[in-house]
Parts: sequence; C-alpha cells; structure tokens
Amino acid sequence: MTDEKRFSPEAQRYLDGETVNGLDQSELAAADLFGQVIQEYAASLRTPGAEVDRAVMDAIVPRARSHRPASLWRWLVQPHLFTVRPALVAAAAITLVAIGALTIDIPGFTDGEQAAGTTTGQPATILVRFELRAPDANEVTLAGSFNDWSPQGVQLVKNAASGLWTATVPLTPGEHQYLFVIDGSQWIPDPSAHAQVDDGFGQANSVIVVGPRGVVRS
Amino acid sequence: MGSQSDAVLVRRILDGQVELFQVLVERYRTEFGRYATAMLGGDVDDAADALQEAFIRAYRSLASCRDQERFKAWLFRIVSNQCHNTRRARRSHVSLDRIEEPEDSAAARRMDDAEIGQTIEAALNELTGEQREAFVLKHVEGYSYAEIASLLDVGEDALKMRVHRARDELRHKSEGLR
Amino acid sequence: MKHSLHTLAFLAVGLFAILPSAAHSQDVRTRLLDRGASVEFANQVAEIVDNARAEQLPTEPLVSKALEGWANRARVPQGRVIAALNQSVQRLRTGRQIGLAAGLNPLPGPVVSAAADAIGRGMSREQVGQVLGSATGPDVAATGLTVASALVAQGLATEAAVRVVGDAFRHGRPPEEILEFPSALTGIRAQGREMSEIARQIMQGGGLPSPTAPGMGGRGTRPQGVPGMPGDGQKKKKGSSGGL
Repeated sequence: MTDEKRFSPEAQRYLDGETVNGLDQSELAAADLFGQVIQEYAASLRTPGAEVDRAVMDAIVPRARSHRPASLWRWLVQPHLFTVRPALVAAAAITLVAIGALTIDIPGFTDGEQAAGTTTGQPATILVRFELRAPDANEVTLAGSFNDWSPQGVQLVKNAASGLWTATVPLTPGEHQYLFVIDGSQWIPDPSAHAQVDDGFGQANSVIVVGPRGVVRS
Repeated sequence: MGSQSDAVLVRRILDGQVELFQVLVERYRTEFGRYATAMLGGDVDDAADALQEAFIRAYRSLASCRDQERFKAWLFRIVSNQCHNTRRARRSHVSLDRIEEPEDSAAARRMDDAEIGQTIEAALNELTGEQREAFVLKHVEGYSYAEIASLLDVGEDALKMRVHRARDELRHKSEGLR
Repeated sequence: MKHSLHTLAFLAVGLFAILPSAAHSQDVRTRLLDRGASVEFANQVAEIVDNARAEQLPTEPLVSKALEGWANRARVPQGRVIAALNQSVQRLRTGRQIGLAAGLNPLPGPVVSAAADAIGRGMSREQVGQVLGSATGPDVAATGLTVASALVAQGLATEAAVRVVGDAFRHGRPPEEILEFPSALTGIRAQGREMSEIARQIMQGGGLPSPTAPGMGGRGTRPQGVPGMPGDGQKKKKGSSGGL
C-alpha cells in the first residue's frame, strides 16, 4: 500500500525533468497528475503587494537620517520628482510626489539608447514612478525605449483596493518613449505622460523627458 | 535590459542612496513572494509580514553582505529564516479564525482550488521545513536544482532527496483527489 | 562644485546616449531572431541598419524602432515596420544635413537622431538649425533639440519651443536645467495657464513661466507606494528652479 503511494525512482527523475525510459503508464499518469495539481496550487497562491514596499521604505528611510551627512541628507529630502494632478489643481492644492530621484552612477545601465558598460562619467539615474488605473486588468507591464520594448520587462504591481498599478523604474535623464501593456496584448499610452507622439506605425507612444529632478506629469 | 545589477544597487545604497532599496524590495518581493506564501500555508498576510520584516533586517545588515554579486542568495537566506521562524510561531499558535475562514473569497477562485490547496497544505505540513522549502522552490517557484543549490548552499543530491520525499508525501495525501 | 559635476554627468549622458552603438546595431538580427522574428524580417532589418551604419548614420534609433515594431507585431505588420525604418533613415539623413549645415563638426550621432525626431514632430529645418546654432556646443545640442521637440509634442508652438531653448542656451543655462522644461511646462499647464499664453510670454522674451509660482508649493503629500521621505508633510523645496 505504501509503495503505491510513492513515486518510483524513474517517476521521480521524470518529475525532475530528466529523460527517462521505461516509465510505465500508471506511473506516468500519476506523475502528470501530480504536475498538474502542483501547477494549479502554485497558480492559486497570492503574493504580497506593494504595501510591503511602503512599509519597508517607511521603516528604513527615517532610520537613515541620523547616519547621513547633512549634505546628503539635504539631497535625500529634496523632492526631485513631483506629480501634478489636475483634480487637485482644481482644488488649488497641487500634490507634490516626492520620490527619491537620485543622482547615481550605474555602470552597465542600458536603456536602449545608451551603450552598456560605461565605467566612467556614468550618467545620473532618476527613479520614476509609473501609474495606471486599470482595475480589471490581470497584469500590467511597461515596455519602452528603456527596456528594448520588452513587454515582460517591467511589471507593475496592483493595489487591490484602488485598482492602481504602479512601478518605480530607474531611468537615465532624457527622453523615453513607452506604452503600458495590459494582459500581455493590449498596448495603451500613459494618459499622464508629457506627450503622445506618432510611433511611426500609425499609433501613439507616450513620451516623458526625465530631468535631474524627476518628472512632472499631468 | 534597463535594470541594474543587485551589486551596483547595494553599493549605491551603502553609499547613502537609501531610496534605491525600493528597487531591490520590488524586485525580490515579486521574486520571493510566492515562495513566502507557500511556506506560510498560503496566507498572503503572513507572507507580507515575513517579507517586510526580512527586508528591514536585510537593510539594517546590508553592510555585512560582503559578496554583493550574490546579494540574491544572501537576501534569500534572510527571507527563508524569517519564513521558518514565522512558520514555527504559527504552528504553536494557530488562531481559530484562520482555520474557519476561507483564506480568500475571491470570486475567481474555483471551488476545487481550495480543496487542492488544503490537501497540499496538509501534505506540506508533514514535511520538515527544509523539505518544504526545497519542494516550494522546485515546484512553486520553478527553480532548477542548480539554482536552489546556489540559493541554499546545499548539494543538489540532498535537495533531490528532499523534493522526492515531499512528492511522496503529497502523493500519499492526495490519493483522495484522484 | 556639485553643479559642475552634474553638468559633466549630463554631458556624459549626451555622449553615451547618442554615439552609435556598434554592439547594439550589429546584433539586431540576433536579437530579433532571439525574440522569435522570422529570418526574413531579421535580415531586412539588419540590412537597413547595416546600410545606415555604412552611411555613418546613428543606428540606435533604428534598432530601437525595429524592436518596438517586433514587440508590437500583434498590431503592426512587418511591412509597416520596414516602411517606418526606411522613413527613419530618411529623417536621419535630413538630420545629418542640418547638423552639418549648422557647422557642427564633429557631428555626434545623438544630434543627428534628435534632429531627425524634431523634423518628425513638425519642426522645420530652419528651426532645427536655429536650436543647433544657439547650442553652446555639439555635446549639448542634442539635449536642446530633444527638449524643443518634446515641448512641441506637448502642444507648444514650434517657434516658442525653439525660442525658449535658444534663450536658455544664450543665458548659459546648463543642459540639465533645460531637460526640466517639459516637466515645467506640464506644471504650468496644470495651474490652468493656456498654451497660447505661455507661448506669448516666451516670444516676448519672458522665458518659460516659473512653475514654482503660488500653487506649486504647500502641502507635500505622497501617494501610496512612494518611498517614504523623511519629514513628509513638511513644506517641500520646489522641484524646478524659477525664472527658466
């Protein structure tokens, strides 16, 4: 009875992804069923969302205060990126989004426009936050000139309550074109980008120009 | 493309560019999130707590990450320890509401998912922490044995034994699902 | 001192960003094949890129456009991608002519690319030439053109876009400040200013109005998910310098 409930060594090797000869039909069926069940289990697992990032950063950034020299501290607290929202303008209260936009030198950073492996005179990199409200989407990614337009490149994370998808991406200063990709197939522009430009294929790409202090969006 | 290596980010963070830690948090919350949930009985809230604690601990001891090229494995050990600790704590104190309440009432979830989840959970609970971890990394995260060996610093043969044992236990428990 | 370091960094960005990258262009065929493109399509793209390189045109924009086209294959036919690449080559040629006519020597690839983009967004050859002529050097000319054409894409009249960038160069503004203009314009627009009014002020020599006018300061709040900033809620320093 116990034997029935164990996988044979051949079946184990089969499940390990090795090539196996002479696996009998019932063992093969059991192994395949096992694979299927595990796949469904893995797909059913949820993963922690962006609230973890917020909690972590809230916990560590104030802690850094006492350890940093004053000049660096000024640099850290200086809001380099802010987002302007029309709705708040109407209320005469523009929201400034202070994200840590940092001057950093990152060898090997590539954004589709920049040679890899720079070792001296490295460019500044700015953290830029992308947002899209898409409550019904199952997956949102960001594809653009900074990641060779790979739809798998940057995954946004959903806030379940608000339906807002977000990602923070380090970008070099200058112009970047991009689109959001919803559920792997629907490419849509960012309504809050600086501008939308002809993509040469009859549709539009979103454009942002990243300055050293970040990006102001509409 | 477009992303910086862990080692570069770690150096920048240690140089004072603290905000960059968010990039690592986002990167590895996604990468290790499913692992944490699977290690913690499918409870995403416990997983979030464990990850949060692990990231904060990692940040505070970042200077001790000597081999920055292997930051991922270094961080994983912290995440793994946290998950094992949380798991031990949960075992000694399982609240009633956790047992009685379905962990997720999302409409999208099918009935048999819950059944499969419970069965697998029951099977995984019979395993040692090490076996469970190896199984989750292999079958939930989809890592190769070589990758797991690198993360855990354990030989591949030992890992295979752990995973095989986990499969047998699962098969034993899941007979009823056939 | 810090300021000059930033300037150096930006110059480096400009140079690295636009110098034709042999590594990128040489492997465009491989990169397309790796992504599942047909051999025929990859060869067509590689031929266009190779020809452009032989003409000493920057190839990076072509490689990027080809990868973009392939990523969009569900809605963009391959023939359309090839047509767009050929159109890009034409614009790059035009960009190079304008750069040479402006007396830029050597003519950095980024300047050629930026000039081509500016033409594509509706700036005239003369206007592109004006921006290049006002730039303090070839290394910052690309930044000026990129910003001017972004402002145009944002809806600012081309003559105002050319003027505001030209004025900035003439006043010795460093390139990193000029890169802030599109964000500044967005900020000003968010305050309810009309684009025509902004353009009028620029053409009267008043520059881009400061987005740090009343309304831009005050409450600093932070949306969920943004890294915590110490002292959140306190009055923040403005994001852009005034009197651009």
